[in-house]
Amino acid sequence: MYKIMGCFCILAGCMGLGRLKVGQERERILHLRELIRMIHRMQDEISYGKHTLPEICLILADNVDSWYAPYFIEIHRQMLQGDGTGLKEVWEKQMTACLENLPLQEEEKDIIRQLPACLGLQEEKRQALGFEQAAILLSGKCQKAEEAYENRSKMIHSVSILAGLLLSILLL
Amino acid sequence: MHREEILRMFPERMRGRWQETADLCGNLQEIRLRVGRPVTVITVSGERFVDIEGRIVDRQEAGARITEREIEEIIQHLCQYSLYAFADEIRQGFLTIQGGHRVGMAGQVILEDTGRVRNIKYIRYLNIRIAHQIKGAADSILPFLYEKDRLCNTLLISPPGCGKTTMLRDMIRQISDGSMYGQGMNVGVVDERSEIAGSYMGVPQNDVGSRTDVLDGCPKVEGMMMLVRSMAPQVIAVDELGSDKDMEALQMASGCGCKLIVTIHGSSLSEIQNKKYMRYVIKEGLFERYVILKRVNGNCVVEGVYDREGKPCIR
Repeated sequence: MYKIMGCFCILAGCMGLGRLKVGQERERILHLRELIRMIHRMQDEISYGKHTLPEICLILADNVDSWYAPYFIEIHRQMLQGDGTGLKEVWEKQMTACLENLPLQEEEKDIIRQLPACLGLQEEKRQALGFEQAAILLSGKCQKAEEAYENRSKMIHSVSILAGLLLSILLL
Repeated sequence: MHREEILRMFPERMRGRWQETADLCGNLQEIRLRVGRPVTVITVSGERFVDIEGRIVDRQEAGARITEREIEEIIQHLCQYSLYAFADEIRQGFLTIQGGHRVGMAGQVILEDTGRVRNIKYIRYLNIRIAHQIKGAADSILPFLYEKDRLCNTLLISPPGCGKTTMLRDMIRQISDGSMYGQGMNVGVVDERSEIAGSYMGVPQNDVGSRTDVLDGCPKVEGMMMLVRSMAPQVIAVDELGSDKDMEALQMASGCGCKLIVTIHGSSLSEIQNKKYMRYVIKEGLFERYVILKRVNGNCVVEGVYDREGKPCIR
């Protein structure tokens, strides 16, 4: 009886682990979508609103996922406070903290962290286009992740069940 | 104005060098930065220089030389790393920063096919003009601006750097809030270069009165018409007249029943009368008061207030 209970626990644990992994993958896709939307919003605010980056951060804080909002508010606050620290430094610091625990790949985090490197153009439409590269890169990654998600989730589920069974058999 | 406002104009790594300059804040008029040339500060008492340690010195050769890179850093910082947001202003050769201070720029101009200025690249010269709000600056002239409790159309004539905009700002504030000479009036300000109200994100940084509406960054001619149509101002205030079209817009606004408070570069009434675009309006008697400012021993003073015939006003 105890052995059967143990097998069930192992199986459930492995399946849970598999679900967690699948959930992380799904979360990654959702974050990528949100980041792409954020970049597009930034482009719109640059080309149509002609807002400065600190102002855009305040607008984003109201319009993006609540996870990101405090970091954008902090960027705006620090830039407005005017202690002289450059936007690049403030952005990088805040975004590093913001993205640290998100299920994104390092490359994806770097794209966001290095967004201000595209700044410095005087024409708003061109400046907005400067962010396009980042949006394209993230879109590519998001698309790949979405395509792989279905198959990978099935595979992860199967592997987790199989791993659970294998472990149970070995322990028996 | 606080010294922090001066320091805030510079990136963090440069701030140490600007501490002593910031201490001058009350007396500071301009900071002139020219690539490869000594950093110059213009104070009420005259021209001085900033050495490499940030000390204010009298000898030009002791002044620290600023590099291209530093100027670019300052511009980026002043524009909040968003040059595109200030493109229209940069195209006109200046930008207005928080606090209403104006930064003049010069470099290599890029023209469009039409001959219009498209952009300025290689910005290598900066002139940071420090805005000073002096409440009460217009106290001495205010009694002369009213006639039988009615505000007169007023032209403020002053050479550059004599406090023309400071005077105009205080006139607007007092006319808007009301004073012992007249009740408060709705004032519409067309602040083409954001110098009068010093608006930042649409909010005036200077006190321009409680009944004042500010059209920020708008060309004078269009701005005056927009205000007349939309905000029903009793008084329209604009800075630095300079063309026939400005005059036409002024006449139109006056025809709509608005009182006018405007400024122009000049040093005397006769000099203004000789300006082609001013002759007609002066002859027609559009302005009922002329206020002339001048500089005496480094101080800006009111030379006189004259009526439409050019006679001194005495009350």
